[in-house]
Amino acid sequence: MENEIKWEADIDVALARAGSENRPVLLDFYNPG
Amino acid sequence: MAAVTYPDTKVIGFISENMIPVQVLFDAQPLSTDFNVKWTPTLITLDPQGKEHHRTVGFLSPGELIPSLLLGISKSYFETDRFEEALQNIDKLLAEYPKSDSAPEAIYLLGVCRYKITKDPKPLKEAYEKLSAEYPSSEWTKRAYPYRLL
Repeated sequence: MENEIKWEADIDVALARAGSENRPVLLDFYNPG
Repeated sequence: MAAVTYPDTKVIGFISENMIPVQVLFDAQPLSTDFNVKWTPTLITLDPQGKEHHRTVGFLSPGELIPSLLLGISKSYFETDRFEEALQNIDKLLAEYPKSDSAPEAIYLLGVCRYKITKDPKPLKEAYEKLSAEYPSSEWTKRAYPYRLL
């Protein structure tokens, strides 16, 4: 069990993983404040 | 989101098992312009081709984020004609989060998915009847209103 979300930082990496792992992407635009 | 929702154990488990999470600054280019991001947090569900299927703007609690993501996953399958996979995620949303803000849209989508699979309009009417009984003031009840006549 993960103890935190393992965020990708590169959309192209995320999309490539999404294709190979057959999962959708959660894209979060955030403001670190 | 970073302080309350993302550290939640159920949220971590759900995202880790069901999605590929990617986090970018609100003004990161060209993504911010490409997705027309004007406020944060903006959360978007994409298919592996990068096409948008669901978007929320603003804070979501753990109990609202997971059903919202299930709805996004369902819509990504629905909009790519993978109706059975959409149904599986809608069923999970309605079983585990029936009181969530995402539930009314999920019921609407359930009716549409079943109609797409069976070509029988009965599920559309059933969706309206469930919406009108359980969520009478929901916008999705209003959108399903014509189905009462089917």
